[in-house]
Amino acid sequence: MTTTSPTVASPTVTDPPPTSPIAGSAPRVRVNRLVLYTVLVVITGLFLGPFGWLVLSGLKTPAELAASPVHWLPAHVQWHNFADAFNLVDFLGYARNSLVIALIYATLVTLSSAWVGFGFARLEAPGRKALFGILLGSMMLPQMITLLPTYLIFAKLGMADTYWPWVLWGLSSAPYLVFLFRQFFAALPRELEEAAIVDGCGYTGIFWRIFLPQSWPVLSASFVIAFTWTWGDYIAPQLLLSTDRTTLAVAVTSTYVTSAGTPVTNLQAAASVMYVVPILLVFLVAQRGFVAGMSTSGLK
Amino acid sequence: MTVDQISSVAGRRGSTQAAGRSGTRPPTSIATRRHRAFYLFASPWIAGFVLLTIAPMAYALWLSFTTFDGISPRWHYVGFGNYRELFADSQTWHSLGRTGLFAITSVPLSIVAGLGLAVLVNRPIKARGLFRTLLYLPAVVPPVGAGIAFKQVFDQNSGAANGVLNLFGIDALGWLADPYARYVLIMTVLWTAGNIMIISLAGLQDVPRELLEAARIDGASAWRSFRSVTVPLLSPVLLFQTVTGVIASVQTIMPLLLAPDPTPAGITALPQSNHLYMMHVFAEYFAFGRYGYASALLWVLFVLILVVTGLIFRATSGVVFYNVDPEAKK
Repeated sequence: MTTTSPTVASPTVTDPPPTSPIAGSAPRVRVNRLVLYTVLVVITGLFLGPFGWLVLSGLKTPAELAASPVHWLPAHVQWHNFADAFNLVDFLGYARNSLVIALIYATLVTLSSAWVGFGFARLEAPGRKALFGILLGSMMLPQMITLLPTYLIFAKLGMADTYWPWVLWGLSSAPYLVFLFRQFFAALPRELEEAAIVDGCGYTGIFWRIFLPQSWPVLSASFVIAFTWTWGDYIAPQLLLSTDRTTLAVAVTSTYVTSAGTPVTNLQAAASVMYVVPILLVFLVAQRGFVAGMSTSGLK
Repeated sequence: MTVDQISSVAGRRGSTQAAGRSGTRPPTSIATRRHRAFYLFASPWIAGFVLLTIAPMAYALWLSFTTFDGISPRWHYVGFGNYRELFADSQTWHSLGRTGLFAITSVPLSIVAGLGLAVLVNRPIKARGLFRTLLYLPAVVPPVGAGIAFKQVFDQNSGAANGVLNLFGIDALGWLADPYARYVLIMTVLWTAGNIMIISLAGLQDVPRELLEAARIDGASAWRSFRSVTVPLLSPVLLFQTVTGVIASVQTIMPLLLAPDPTPAGITALPQSNHLYMMHVFAEYFAFGRYGYASALLWVLFVLILVVTGLIFRATSGVVFYNVDPEAKK
C-alpha cells in the first residue's frame, strides 16, 4: 500500500518546462550530440520496427511471405489485401462487437469508478481506511487467476456468450480508476460541498451536480484507458464469447485461415493493422490525459 | 449477500452514533449521514470485489478439492488429491521454473531499459516530445497485435530477424521454436519498456535539482550522482515496477499469442521454453477440462505470488528510500 503513494506523479510528464534546459536532472556528461541522436534514432527505429514490418507484411503476396530468404519489400504493393481482409471474414461485425463491448465497459466503469472514488475522497466513515487499503492491494491481484473461475461462474449463470459480464465488471468499478478519481476529488476545495450541504443538497446531488462536471480531464482519461483495455483484451472474449459474437482481438488471431486451416498471413497482418491503428489514433488524440493517468500508478 | 453485509456494516456503524434514531431525538446527525453515504458510494466496489473477486477465488478453492470437469455429472471430493498430484507433476515444476526464469530476466531487463530510455529522453534534446511518444507507442499496441507482429518479424522464412542474420551470412534460426522462443518472449516485454520509461520519467523530473547540483559541486561524476542521488530517489518507483513486473510476467498470455495456433485448443503445442505456469493452467483448464486440478494450480500460484511479493517488500525495506518532503505537505 505504501508503494503506490510515492509513485503518484505530477501529471506533467508530457509537458515539461520547455524553456529551461533541465540538464541538471540528467547525468552531466558532454556526450557528443551526434552520438545521442544516433542512439535515439536507432532505438526508436527498433521500437517502430515490428509494427512497420506488420504493415509491410500486410502489403505482400502470400508467395512473398512464404519465400526464403526474406523479401524486404513487396514487389507490387498489394493494397487490396486490406479490402480482402475486410471481406474474407466479417471484419465489420467483429469490430462492432469490440466497439459495443468497449463502449459499455468504458462508460459504466468510468461512472462507477468516479462514484466510488468520490466516496473515498470526500466522505468519512469508520472502516474507510481499511477498505482503501484493500482497494489498493487488490490492484496487485493477478486478474488472470480470478478470471478463470469467474468464467466458470458466468458460464453456470448462463451469461456465457452475452455481454453481461462486461456490464457487471463495468458496474463494479476498477480499483485503478477509483484511485485516479479519488486523487482528483481529494484535491478539490472543501467549500465545494459545504455550500451545497447548507443548501440541503444530498451527497448524490453533490456528486452529480458539482463534482462530476468538474472532473472532465479524469473522466476522459478513465474512459480512454478503459476503452483501450477492453479493445485490447484477448482472453475474456476468447473464453466467454462464441465465434459470432466475439471481438476483433479474437477474430484477428484465429479467423484468417483457409478452408484447409492454413493461416492466410498477409491478410491476417493487414487485419491486425486495421485492429491496432484505431487504438493508436485514440492514444495520439488523448495522449495527454492517458499518459498522466498511466504515470499516476503505472498499472496497465 | 453483499448488500446485506454492507447494510449491516453500515447499520452497526450508524447505531453507535445515533442510538436515538427511533425515538424523539433529532434526525440523524450529519456524521451518520456521511457514514451511510460513504458506504452507499463504496458499495459498487465492495459488491464487485466480493462477487467478482472473492467469490470466484472461493469457488476455485472449493473446486480444487474436487474432480470437477464441467461435463461428467459425477464428480467428487478428493481432499488434497489435486495438490498431491500437482506437486508430483513434472509439468508443474518445469513451468514454474520457466516462469521464474522469465520473470528474473525480463523484469530487471525491462526496468533497466525503461530507466535508460527515460534518462535519454529527459535530456534537453530536439523533438523530445516526439521521441517520447514514439518510444511509448508500442506499449499501447494490444497484445494480440504485438503477438502477430512479432510472429512476422521472427518468422523462420520471411521474417526480418532472419533477413538481418542472412546479411551477415548467418543461417536462419527457428526463432519461434525451442530453444529461441524464450528470447522472442523477452523481446516482446522489452518492446513495451516505454511504459516504464514514462513512469521513471515522472520520477526523474521529481529529483530535486539542488541535490544534483550539490553532487556536481562535490565533484561527483555523472554516473556517480546518477547512482547515488537519482537511483535512491527513484527507488520507490523501481520497487513498484519490480512488483508489478513480476505479477505481469506471471500472468502474461504472450506465449499463447506467439504460438502457431493462439487459441486455448492450441495450447498444448507451445514450445517447451515458453511453457510458463499460466500456460500449464490453461492447458489443464481448456485442453483437458480438468477444472478441479487447474483450480488447485491457480491457488498454488496465488499463494506463491503473495509470498514472492512479500519477500520483495521485505528484502527491499531497508533499501527503498521514501522521500518525505515536509514542505510538500500543505
